[in-house]
Amino acid sequence: MFNLNAIVQKAQSLIDSSAANHKPDSTPSKAEFFRLQFRLPESQSPLHEITAELSLSAPHSTRSIPQSNGEKARSSDKSDRGNTYIGKFHLSESFLCFSTQNTSFLPHSTLQASSAFTGQTHGAGPAGNGFTIPLCAIRRVERLQSQNALFALAITTWNGSIVAGKQATPANVQKFTVQLAGSRSACERFCDGLKKGLKDAIKEMESMRSVISQCYSEYLLSPERLAKIDSSQINSSKDPPDAGLGMVFRYPGDAKKLRDRSKMRLWGEYFRENGRNATLIRQPTFHKLIRVGLPNRLRGEVWELTSGSLFMRLQKPKLFEETLSKYSGRGSLAIDEIEKDLNRSLPEYPGFQSEEGIGRLRRVLTAYSWTNEEVGYCQAMNIVVAALLIYLSESQAFFLLSVLCGRLLPGYYSTTMYGTLLDQRVFESLVEKTMPVLWEHLVKSDVQLSVVSLPWFLSLYINSMPLVFAFRVLDVFFLEGPKVLFQIGLAILRMNGEELLDITDDGTFISILKTYFSRLGESAYPKSENEKTRGITRFQELMVTAFKEFSGITQETISEQRAKHKDAVLDNIESFAKRTSIRNLGPDSKRLSMDDLGFLYDRFYGILYEREQRMQLLREEADHRAKANKLMANEIVTGIPGNKSVEIGRVGLGPSPTQMNYDAFREFLTGITRWAVTDSPTSPRKDSVSETSSVYSGHSGRSRSLSLSPWGAGAEPTDHDFMQRLYGKWNIEDRDGLSLQNVVSGLAQVKGTTDLMSTISYFFDLYDDDGDGKVDREGILRISEALLFLTRRGLGGILTSPSSSANNANGDSDLSSTNIDERFLSSVSAFIRRCFEYADPDHPQHESTGTATSQSQLEDNVNAFSIGDDDDEEDLLDLGSGSPKSLPQSPSTPSSTAPKLHVDPSQKANPTSRKASANLALDPANPLHITLPTFRMVILADELLQAFFESSFPNSFHLSSTSSVSRTPTLSTFAAPNGLSSQLPLPAAGRSGGIVPPNKGLRGVLDNIVSDGMRVAGEVRKRMDEAQREMEKNAVSHRHEDEDDEDRAMAGDEEETDRRSVREADRDLLEGAEADAGIGSKGQMGQDELLILGDPGSPRSEKSPAEKLVDFEH
Amino acid sequence: MAETTAAPPKPSSSVKLVLLGEAAVGKSSLVLRFVNNDFQENKEPTIGAAFLTQKCNLPHRTIKFEIWDTAGQERFASLAPMYYRNAQSALVVYDLTKPTSLVKARHWVAELQRQASPGIVIALVGNKLDLTNEQSTEDPAIHGDDEGSTTETAEAESDGDARKISTKEGREYAEEEGLLFFETSAKSGVNVQEVFTAIANAIPETQMKGARGAGAAGGTQTALGAGTERVNLTGPRGEVGAKEGCAC
Repeated sequence: MFNLNAIVQKAQSLIDSSAANHKPDSTPSKAEFFRLQFRLPESQSPLHEITAELSLSAPHSTRSIPQSNGEKARSSDKSDRGNTYIGKFHLSESFLCFSTQNTSFLPHSTLQASSAFTGQTHGAGPAGNGFTIPLCAIRRVERLQSQNALFALAITTWNGSIVAGKQATPANVQKFTVQLAGSRSACERFCDGLKKGLKDAIKEMESMRSVISQCYSEYLLSPERLAKIDSSQINSSKDPPDAGLGMVFRYPGDAKKLRDRSKMRLWGEYFRENGRNATLIRQPTFHKLIRVGLPNRLRGEVWELTSGSLFMRLQKPKLFEETLSKYSGRGSLAIDEIEKDLNRSLPEYPGFQSEEGIGRLRRVLTAYSWTNEEVGYCQAMNIVVAALLIYLSESQAFFLLSVLCGRLLPGYYSTTMYGTLLDQRVFESLVEKTMPVLWEHLVKSDVQLSVVSLPWFLSLYINSMPLVFAFRVLDVFFLEGPKVLFQIGLAILRMNGEELLDITDDGTFISILKTYFSRLGESAYPKSENEKTRGITRFQELMVTAFKEFSGITQETISEQRAKHKDAVLDNIESFAKRTSIRNLGPDSKRLSMDDLGFLYDRFYGILYEREQRMQLLREEADHRAKANKLMANEIVTGIPGNKSVEIGRVGLGPSPTQMNYDAFREFLTGITRWAVTDSPTSPRKDSVSETSSVYSGHSGRSRSLSLSPWGAGAEPTDHDFMQRLYGKWNIEDRDGLSLQNVVSGLAQVKGTTDLMSTISYFFDLYDDDGDGKVDREGILRISEALLFLTRRGLGGILTSPSSSANNANGDSDLSSTNIDERFLSSVSAFIRRCFEYADPDHPQHESTGTATSQSQLEDNVNAFSIGDDDDEEDLLDLGSGSPKSLPQSPSTPSSTAPKLHVDPSQKANPTSRKASANLALDPANPLHITLPTFRMVILADELLQAFFESSFPNSFHLSSTSSVSRTPTLSTFAAPNGLSSQLPLPAAGRSGGIVPPNKGLRGVLDNIVSDGMRVAGEVRKRMDEAQREMEKNAVSHRHEDEDDEDRAMAGDEEETDRRSVREADRDLLEGAEADAGIGSKGQMGQDELLILGDPGSPRSEKSPAEKLVDFEH
Repeated sequence: MAETTAAPPKPSSSVKLVLLGEAAVGKSSLVLRFVNNDFQENKEPTIGAAFLTQKCNLPHRTIKFEIWDTAGQERFASLAPMYYRNAQSALVVYDLTKPTSLVKARHWVAELQRQASPGIVIALVGNKLDLTNEQSTEDPAIHGDDEGSTTETAEAESDGDARKISTKEGREYAEEEGLLFFETSAKSGVNVQEVFTAIANAIPETQMKGARGAGAAGGTQTALGAGTERVNLTGPRGEVGAKEGCAC
């Protein structure tokens, strides 16, 4: 008998699976379906499963009726046999589940099985017959000796004796047998798993006891209460558990009319026969009893059970109270919003006109807002929770709300409410499919369906229908899942179909439905002769229509439709969010174009989104490894992440990060500037970089498999002092990250102006750390470094500027581009020199002697080291070929290795003698600074620097999406990271020969050599300088201290003259600069003279100009 | 325009009006006052939007307002386009005692000006006038017990003057953007009818949908030629509107 059934079952499953045609990519993981099917907490995963036959012993369910629909239950005629069901046993970490619906959730299932694993319910919930029993509720499992060598278990539960803790009375011993079908080894494995689970479950007994004691069914069936009824004794020691506000303020509706008593009796009977709360077994009667409406006092408990929130409560029984006490006294936006609505949640219900009711509502909403800060609080939650609180205790309502928000109504209450909008779209498409005529009419009349239906879904019909009826809908909703909302909605439209075909505007549409809802309690057939027919209410008619006519609307339908419309809905939300966000960026944003703002928005959130996803993937990878290490790889589902986890961070899905930390900022910069891309990528990049700019706006990025490198597929950012400063400057509020507003304001200051002067002062401010209008020596050096850093990939726009092309014509025209870079290098050298030259000493008494000498000495040195332009190429090249060895490593390497490479040992041999003659400007004992006017003057004195601030710098930020940012030079240059050193000799030869390399790729390499050389040089100089200072610190420290007091005393007097002298110099130089600019060739010459380059004959000639500055000190 | 001659039955037309503004500023209460002349202390928050209608009789025509009262909470903002679609008028409401609500109101005005049908008549309304000391002159009876309002300078706060946004600030902003401007109290009823009457007067007749259903042709129809109307509407229309009584 049984074997035959098994075969039939198997055959059916094969048929099912071949018929099923699912798209696997849009479905959640099996583990997720498993949890949905049995309403299990997130922590559970399918460990074992086995086909089995469940036999319930007599006197079970006399009411049960043989099933239709292919369910294999056969009620035996013999009263001692009870019911048997064939289905599947599932074992998770702490639950034993049985369902007659053929489902498989294990990862190693065959292909056919896996395509059908969603079963008939599609995770709809425990609609089938069976049970979900926590392992800790199982008291004993015995292996039965069976005559036909079948593997059979007898399971005894704690049903009825969990709370009492004493020997169960024979009346409520719950025992059922299970015959496992499968190979011996499969059965053994399952039993081993069960054994282990049972052992682990022992420790959960306590929380089980406390949770179960709050179930009304325990009270209902408790021997004391039964005894009390018998003896009519009033003095009972035990109060009934909290079954919601209704116990105090009455439940809505007329209990008599609702036939509450008889329902209660039926449920009591069912519980006695089939177990209660945690040990309840679902038989067909269970579903029937729910369809006719739950009795008031059991409503909450059954909701908890069918929605699975009971199991969540079992796991963390104290979570509600703990959350409240943990956050007690703290405020949040959500709490403010909650407070606004407390007095206006079901105000017509007496319980919510009392402090008691309002207090409960406040606590549940507040606690939830803390446990799910992403959702926080959404209007409509107050109404739903208020309704729940009529039947549930605070803690129960809290967990049920979690299940609602997390599982039953995904995304409904999120900050973008995408779930609500998506389901409206789904509902519309279902109306179109099932009622095409009505749909056409609505479209024709320009009536928007969702204006009517949105509140239905959002508040679960609670404020649309009279409460009694809304609760009936909820009864089924918690059992059968979200599809119920759709079925009811469709039925409502169907019932009003005729009238709705006459409407022409929203107004009548709404009023027709309003009238309909208000008359739900009336007879559907008031004129009928038959009294019984007359007794059918409109609501009953609605329910029948919903579940009969629209029985084709399954969870699968909903899932499919959701997947279909999801992208469109999210796009809509995102474009709305973008529009709103851009509009509210504040006054600074006006300085950038709409296109630029749009681009920035995309780039900003694109980066955040991508980073979130990468984090997620990395985390999963880590999880995966951790689990694999436990040698459970084949038992635990890890892989396929569910739909929602992959899209974490997407704007449309609700709360996404809005703050960009420094790392994200660096990544952000790679998309809009060339200089932010690192020279030494750590990970090979296979994807084209160009994708990064479009990832967000188009959705191409989502399906793309993401690289697991910490920087994803985009260009890897470098790290530089300048970027840190920029980040610091933009971070006005000094928070953990930059908001879009910060970024836009920051960029507006750089890009939004064409004013040279303001760009210069902006740059100066970046280095004025304490905001006193002065930049010290260190700052000057850092500025020069930044200048080199920013231009190491070329100067951008300068090449095309007329003045420089004129210069090119005059100078060595055949080396045009590289020449510019070299000239810029010398400009920076000159910049440093001039800065020191015109710097103001911090210690005024040095001015008379110090500056004078330093100036003359500096010039001496300059002349000494100056060389013709012919040679500087070689110098750079030598340096270039020496340094690249360190280049492909991490960005920090140059600083550590460079000094080693370039410091001539002879320099260190006699540092003191040279130091004595070193110019005072570089003497750390003579602190100095430049002011903004000085800085400006120095910049304007140099044509290239001026051009840099005028165009290159602002233009180095590429905004609107059409720009060619994506084609960063690294692409060509670093396509093969290791190729650099091997390519080196080639361009070097080409260059020394004075031939312009025709190849762009080669030029890129060249540029990099030059710029990297400069960068290294800058680094070297800096480190040297620091080392030098470190060495001298001890020597000068005494003198320093002595002078300090005097300095301060004199500072005030000297400052005046000090400043004046600068201004004069300023003016001179400005005039000079103008003159230079006026006569092209002469300016060029003047500039050449200023070059400080290596002495041709000197052995140090292979050092870069910047290094020469270091040499001064020796 | 020619066909709207003063025939004995006054021409009637419907006007779609949408209410926008931060949560709990009193949007629903304004509507309730206008439609039912009623006030509820604890009004349930609007979920999605509520729909009500009310007629407004002008000397030469009758206007039937189809009022869409939207939810105020921030996250419902993405639903708003569904409701202000094809709206010919909007009430952007803020709370006189809550500065953030004016910020939000500005956002809504900007949104409407860019996204709603061109020519939409927007009224900026500062609600909860009853919480301030300047009790309206029209309705002194309601708050007769409000003594001590003579010294309105320093002790304003302690007197229960919770006003945080001055009339000047609201009016200046409204003028800048070409909006109608009112300060109202849904609780006492001050200025509520006036707001709707002013809007009714500001709606150009050309833009009327006439019988409802003409508007069904789509947004393009209202968009035609409506762009120019905007300009005419700015300026003194507020005062003009207030004079024309509304007998609803």
